[in-house]
Amino acid sequence: MVRYGMVIDLNRCIGCRSCAVVCKMVNAQPPGTWWQRVETVGSEEHMVPVGEYPNLSEVFLPVPCMHCENAPCVKVCPVGATWTREDGLVLVDFERCIGCRYCITACPYGVRQFNWQDPDENVRQGFERAGFDSNWYADGEYRYGYPVDHRTEDGRLVYTNKRPRGVVEKCTFCVQFVDQGISPACVRGCPGNARIFGDLDDPDSEISKVLKDRSAFRLLEDLGTEPKVFYIPPARKEGKGGVRYGEKI
Amino acid sequence: MGRKYDIAMVIFGLLGLLGIAAFIYQLQKGLIVTNMRNPFSWGLYISMWAFYVGTAAGGLVVSSAINIFGVKQLKPIAPVASLSAFIFAISAMLMALPDIGRPDRLLNLFQYPNPSSLILWDFVVLSVYAILSAVYTYVQLQPRIAERGISIPLIGTVMKKEVTAAQLEELRRVSERRAKLLAPVALPFAILIHTVTAWVLATQFSRPWWYGGLLAPTFIAAALTAGPAVVILASLAIYGFKEDLKPTYRLLAKVSAFSAAVLLFMYYNDFLVRQWWGNGREYDALMLVLKDNLHIHAIEVSFLLAGIIVLAKKYDTFSGLVTGSLLLNIGILAHRYILFPPAYNLIPFRVPVVMAGESFEWEYPIALGEVRGTLLDPQPIFVSYWNYVPSAVEVAITVGFFGLITFAFLALMKALPVRE
Ligand code: SF4
Ligand code: SF4
Repeated sequence: MVRYGMVIDLNRCIGCRSCAVVCKMVNAQPPGTWWQRVETVGSEEHMVPVGEYPNLSEVFLPVPCMHCENAPCVKVCPVGATWTREDGLVLVDFERCIGCRYCITACPYGVRQFNWQDPDENVRQGFERAGFDSNWYADGEYRYGYPVDHRTEDGRLVYTNKRPRGVVEKCTFCVQFVDQGISPACVRGCPGNARIFGDLDDPDSEISKVLKDRSAFRLLEDLGTEPKVFYIPPARKEGKGGVRYGEKI
Repeated sequence: MGRKYDIAMVIFGLLGLLGIAAFIYQLQKGLIVTNMRNPFSWGLYISMWAFYVGTAAGGLVVSSAINIFGVKQLKPIAPVASLSAFIFAISAMLMALPDIGRPDRLLNLFQYPNPSSLILWDFVVLSVYAILSAVYTYVQLQPRIAERGISIPLIGTVMKKEVTAAQLEELRRVSERRAKLLAPVALPFAILIHTVTAWVLATQFSRPWWYGGLLAPTFIAAALTAGPAVVILASLAIYGFKEDLKPTYRLLAKVSAFSAAVLLFMYYNDFLVRQWWGNGREYDALMLVLKDNLHIHAIEVSFLLAGIIVLAKKYDTFSGLVTGSLLLNIGILAHRYILFPPAYNLIPFRVPVVMAGESFEWEYPIALGEVRGTLLDPQPIFVSYWNYVPSAVEVAITVGFFGLITFAFLALMKALPVRE
């Protein structure tokens, strides 16, 4: 059985937010909505280290949906619009969601996003706020994002770039690509090559090998959500990448 | 009741129209017209839903008390009590409607029910409760309906039958027997609506303000406070402050005041436990109550305390009963409202930052889901705190629906032969 998961190597993440941007474009997220976040841990502003000089820390933490094994969002959904597919992907059916937002309350990672108004209106506002006087594609059929609607085998709509209003959306691990045997956009778009995507149940997959060799952790482990996104902790860097062990206390 | 009744109906009717207009506006624009956003995804509507679930308690608890425990004092007001249970169970579901992003898809609840979702079960128990309360009311009123009929404006009196005294006696006996049969069925549902509503929130391990076994008992205590208080108000409006009803009012006032006291005990018991450790998520949730939301906390506690005192001392005066019941209901309303800010503003995803000089828990910000700021005046999209204040539309819908509910309640009271 395939069980997809992701490893994010925090040593390799340079905090450039390319994953967030490519995700936003490819998955047609309306302005104001982000499936993917990258923040500097502990800091109010991204890319600003925390602490007092010279004791500074700057760890970048990218957060997609964890595709939890014990996913609270799946359990709370009254109509089964959010469900776990056989391959482990936690998906939202855009045609079934009633917009109750119980899942937003249930998800501990804050990854779920609601379409508070018609997404086209968000786009129009986006243009307007950025100083353009007209909406460039208000009347056209064009929308940014992967252009083809995607349905699962049993016909459930899990991706469309013409997003309906009043439904919840979130990271799908790029289901439209995974179903074609292609990695998620964030994995391919990361210039630091920080992400590995693959089958956790296949001992020969790259992700399984990496997880075997390295110590990894998951976010909010104590909640028991059993995320399928793993992180490789960042090592402290000194000088040219070495680790310093002091002689004396 | 004549003139006063007409004025009240006009006022509540107008409020109801305002609510419907605001709801239509929200349907057109989307939930963006509320002040809820991704980090704070339930607000006033769901508070009101929880509140109405509580006020629906009175009815069936009262009716069941008569038929199961034989508390005869409550008998004269039983029809009003069960009618209020019906109205408020419907109100709770009505109040959830504007919170739904896709009301056009509500039938999915029947088509694709997910049994592990407690919202689904809440919908089930509330519907059953509403139906049971309606049936219960009808069973109680059956003899009177046969005798006097239901008076509908413009249409006149319907369902009136020519009955002899003997037939009427028989009807009364049947009605009594059926009520006795229904009561044990209804009572579990009267309790379930509060517990299941509480479980919707209490099961969320990542929200320490709700999580745990205490929430359901406090919901029951809140319901036994608000429910009887609402029945007092409704009965005063229908039957007035009559000498022979005094024991009834006294009993209801006592139940309500006592439950409020129990509620406060459980509440502060929880506060103490959270406070003692002095750190951690449970403690932080409490601090959100005592710092950021102190004004709401002050309202809930002072109104509850004042209500307890007034009802305990002045249960035998008209003004005492009205004031006490209103105070308690406002207190419970604030108690319901404060369910949400400390739950949402304690972002579950916190990352511990441990450094030589300091260590703290850092909250990972959440995207709001709206377009904010402009090119020259940018505003953050990612926030870890959302100062939720209901928007004008939310207030209009809430107040308007209250008007609608009261309108329906008063209309039913007039149409049905609830008086002896
Ligand atoms: S991270 Fe949140 S949305 Fe994703 S599977 Fe887990 S609970 Fe669901
Ligand atoms: S908002 Fe949609 S996906 Fe989320 S719980 Fe409700 S119906 Fe399910």
